[in-house]
Amino acid sequence: MSDEQVPAPEFHPRIVAFLCNWCSYAGADLAGISRIQYPASIRVIRVPCSGRVDPFFVLKALQLGADGVLISGCHPGDCHYLTGNYVARRRFAVLNDLLQFFGIEPGRVMFSWVSAAEGERFAQVVRDATEQVKKLGPLNRLATSKTPFEDAMQTAECRVQKAK
Amino acid sequence: MQSAKGKVTTQEQIRARAKELLEQKLVTAVLGFREGSLPGTVVPTLVTKPEQSDSLVYDERCLHNLAAYLPRLKHKGKLAVIASGPTSRSIVNLIKENQVKRENLYIIGVAGPEFHHKDTKAPSVRNRSRGTPNPVLCDEMVGDKAAEPAEDDYADIAAFEKLSPEERWQELTEDLSRCIRCYACRQSCPNCYCPTCFVDSSQPQWVGRTTDDSDTIMFHIMRAMHMAGRCVECGACARACPMGIDLMRLNRKVALIVRDRFGHVSGMSLDTPLPLACFQTDDKQEFIR
Amino acid sequence: MTSRIVTKKDFSRFVAGLAKQAELWAPMKLKDADGSRFGRVKDAREVCFDYLNTKLPVKELFFPQRELLFTFKTGTRESVQPPQPVAERIVLGVRPCDAAALLLFDRVFMAEPLPADRQPLSAKEDRKSEIVDCRSFVDPYYQQRREKTTLVGLACNEPGPACFCTALAGSPHGSAGLDLLLVDIDERYLAVPTTDKGEKLVTGLPEAKKADEEKAKQLAEAAGKTMKFALDMAGLKSRLDQGFESDAWDELALPCVNCGVCTYVCPTCHCFDVTDEEHKGKGARLRTWDSCQFALFTRHASGHNPRPTGKDRMRQRTLHKFRYFPEAHAGLGHDPDRRHVGSCPAPLMLCVGCGRCIVECPAGIDLRETLCTLEERIKDAVQTAECKVQKAK
Repeated sequence: MSDEQVPAPEFHPRIVAFLCNWCSYAGADLAGISRIQYPASIRVIRVPCSGRVDPFFVLKALQLGADGVLISGCHPGDCHYLTGNYVARRRFAVLNDLLQFFGIEPGRVMFSWVSAAEGERFAQVVRDATEQVKKLGPLNRLATSKTPFEDAMQTAECRVQKAK
Repeated sequence: MQSAKGKVTTQEQIRARAKELLEQKLVTAVLGFREGSLPGTVVPTLVTKPEQSDSLVYDERCLHNLAAYLPRLKHKGKLAVIASGPTSRSIVNLIKENQVKRENLYIIGVAGPEFHHKDTKAPSVRNRSRGTPNPVLCDEMVGDKAAEPAEDDYADIAAFEKLSPEERWQELTEDLSRCIRCYACRQSCPNCYCPTCFVDSSQPQWVGRTTDDSDTIMFHIMRAMHMAGRCVECGACARACPMGIDLMRLNRKVALIVRDRFGHVSGMSLDTPLPLACFQTDDKQEFIR
Repeated sequence: MTSRIVTKKDFSRFVAGLAKQAELWAPMKLKDADGSRFGRVKDAREVCFDYLNTKLPVKELFFPQRELLFTFKTGTRESVQPPQPVAERIVLGVRPCDAAALLLFDRVFMAEPLPADRQPLSAKEDRKSEIVDCRSFVDPYYQQRREKTTLVGLACNEPGPACFCTALAGSPHGSAGLDLLLVDIDERYLAVPTTDKGEKLVTGLPEAKKADEEKAKQLAEAAGKTMKFALDMAGLKSRLDQGFESDAWDELALPCVNCGVCTYVCPTCHCFDVTDEEHKGKGARLRTWDSCQFALFTRHASGHNPRPTGKDRMRQRTLHKFRYFPEAHAGLGHDPDRRHVGSCPAPLMLCVGCGRCIVECPAGIDLRETLCTLEERIKDAVQTAECKVQKAK
């Protein structure tokens, strides 16, 4: 976690995946039952609906060490709660644009609609996501370990003008 | 608002109206501005007696977003508010979000001060209000309407986006790392009325309380997210910040996202739904695979 | 102690000399914003004396916004580690108000045990438990920083419109709390040592002439005269008591938005919060700034909040500064070892008149106006009450 950590020769990204219970989680389950192989890079958090995903969860996952975040829900029109994914779609659009504005590289935070019948598709989504994050490398922004518990005056240096 | 020969100034009109409204008991108080002690300052004030009306002032210094006081003001009877463009837009949002009742307010509209005075000393260019200077909702209008500015092109955002992700990250984190977590931005904002802000939560502690860079960035990104579709770009947050952080940059980016994606400009009408509380079945989803 | 001279031409060399002896801290210009803040300087080019005062007071070098109390590894008690010791520091450019504020901080964070005749009575009666007078606790984090820091002040020749140190027994050229004071007398600084530590910094420099000292004296007088605000501090305590229920408080507190700006920029405010943070098995206990103006400051675990409104909180802060703190520290003289120089103001208000709260308040609230308004309204209320009493007879 400290600055001395050198990425292993082969970087295995850690991606937190928020999967909606009714579609995407079931889709992932189907992939497993069908014995479809996909990289072991995702850590799944089951939510009742993609609309449950607070943008804060995404930030928190990145802060605590995730290299990427995947959020997956039902296809528009198929939401178990009728409109959850529509509202989520707007929220994710804003979050995605804002994160990229901030400098979080495009491709770190990913969104998908995967239905309960799309086992192979889910596996492909994960393969693509893993590839993307692998290319980007470990996330070295936002991580809480950047300033590990040192006192303010020693580290922040108050963002003052330094002499050239 | 300079007093031309024979013409009554906006300030004088406001004083006169406040006096009348209080004398006629149409309202029980008027929320406006009074003189501040330091040069170039004013202080929000509540006038409850007709004879106090002469303490009200209105000029280029009156930049506070008075709507911020409405949710916590437990006022009996009707309250008159001096509302410029941005303030009136905030009031529209507060009504839509059920934080104030329309029937409890008597909105005295005025043109926003900044648009009249090109040579305003403070605030700096980046801290000023954006959007229409004229009130979008009011019970009466005092003084002349200001000329409508050209549509905001968000050129400052476009210029910033020309930088690489790495450069943007550097610039934003450097700026935000100055934050001392005083929450002046949050408290000056009419949209921030949550009894327990997410940064104050301790069970669980979502965000650390220190000025650790990553915790501070979490606070500001999430506050910007919470402003989506609600921020009226009044600039109160940036003017309140003691450390001179460019807070408008984040809020303006979010406002631009909402405008471009959902065609919504915050607080312009009581009839439009809040953009993140509604949807279209054909919303763009190019970012979703 | 002899006053000496540092010419402006030699200032870089003087600063370089300081930087060799210890970590050197001084006001530095904020990047892309107006104002300055204390930072670690390499040389004189980074020192910024352009502003009347720094945005944040020198207290942040002794009581940082984020202070590491100890680190630990979860699951093992033996892993608790104190933080690294602080290095020797010299802080340059401290205004007299900020330095005087540190003396008030000393009373809170490095209080001496009370003498026997000042101990609470219950301590004598209750033999079963040990009563520890919390005022005798010495905060090791604060104490370490205080003892390892030398303070070089910069006198104020042009106080600002929000300055009122003279109302609180301070002075724009005051030496209280400083080791050395620099006074800008045109092309040179008069360097006035007040402690041995301060004297060592200027040994060997040319001695000041009578004319230099005279010039400094004139500047001090002129500066003092610019501050017109004065208040009868002696009667303030009892008047604030009388005015606790005054309806003036509702009006005064109306514009307050309950942020933490006044408390954070105040050189004497010292409320803090202690939290534990943990990540992947490693953790730390941290002390952070807190503000009595935040709505949740006094909210109990039960949900009850004894200060539920902004009025309660603003009243509390004002009374803490001008009534509760003076009472808690009444009669305590000053201790030469703590480097109290000059007479201690009595009563001891928790305010040094730096004016930052006035300048930085987003709503434009002025503490001086607050005190004056209270004066007037309480006087009126007292008179009305007296009239009522007379009529009753």
